[in-house]
Amino acid sequence: MTIKILMILFLGFASGLSVGAGYVAFLTVLGIIPRLMQLSKTMKMIHHYEWAVVIGALAGVIADLRDPTLGLPGFLLIFLGLTGGVFVGMLAAGLTEAVNVFPILAKRIHLDGKIVILIMAIVLGKIFGSIFQWVYFGHQ
Amino acid sequence: MWEVSVLEKTIYIRMRHRLHISPNENVILKDAAQIIAPEPVLKKIENLIIHQLTAADGNIVIIDVMKVIQRITEVLGEFEVQTIGPAQTIIEVVTKKKGASIPFFLLIWFLLFFGSAMTLMNFHDDVSMGSVQEKIYTIITGKKDTRPLLFQIPYSVGLGLGMILFFNHVFKKRINDEPSPLEVEMFNYQMDLDNYVILHENKESMKHVHDD
Repeated sequence: MTIKILMILFLGFASGLSVGAGYVAFLTVLGIIPRLMQLSKTMKMIHHYEWAVVIGALAGVIADLRDPTLGLPGFLLIFLGLTGGVFVGMLAAGLTEAVNVFPILAKRIHLDGKIVILIMAIVLGKIFGSIFQWVYFGHQ
Repeated sequence: MWEVSVLEKTIYIRMRHRLHISPNENVILKDAAQIIAPEPVLKKIENLIIHQLTAADGNIVIIDVMKVIQRITEVLGEFEVQTIGPAQTIIEVVTKKKGASIPFFLLIWFLLFFGSAMTLMNFHDDVSMGSVQEKIYTIITGKKDTRPLLFQIPYSVGLGLGMILFFNHVFKKRINDEPSPLEVEMFNYQMDLDNYVILHENKESMKHVHDD
């Protein structure tokens, strides 16, 4: 019995460790935090940002596993949605950049100077797709 | 005395990285390289033709510094040539400025637009974003809603904002002089292309010696 419990503890710990490490590695590759620090000139706060990511992930774990209800006013969701959206948007942008889409595309169609327009196509497409999905589909 | 005479006999050459030239034009030395030389020598060599473009050249020609030194010594003889910096110049033959055609451009614009819209919808479906958002709604407010638009609309706007923020186009005036990640990426890609053509278009850069 003790062995079984120890085994499960170990398995849970191991899978948590690999998921956490994987998440941080992914975040590092996409370079979102350096980008935010560069924009806001807050390089010195890097350790706080690290902790923000860690605490945020743990809060997500608790929210997911324990299903708490807080009974707070709904307008807080606007802030949560906006920050969550910005984060996912930056993830998407970092991913696009990591796979070299824009340089190759702009080179192929001789649009080196007007690359902003292509980015705007993707940005607007994402906003459109997202709103369309939530408003039109709803949840089954 | 000795130093002066050495100085007078030395030509310093730094090959430019890239040269745009129109077809039927000759590549002359002062276009392909920066030169420092004594005045009379400079006059003699600055308009030296290093390469004559032919139809067989295609649109990229690599001028190696060895070829330049060879031409200079042909003309001047005993001068010493010192080279600084890159060992070759990429000559790009620009036929005529072709602008992007409008229908083609619109096609690509809509391709990207609907493509990313669909990719995002697939992504949301894949990670069950909808049920997670319902869960967040319940956690915060304690109520149930299958369509928590209060969360979802800001999320969608934030999504676009995040991408723009990453590529730094909100701040048209640039907060600082650092290039945006995209500009760095474009630069790196161009450098990779340049390295490729330097090695592959330059016949002297590779030599096969048959030993059988």
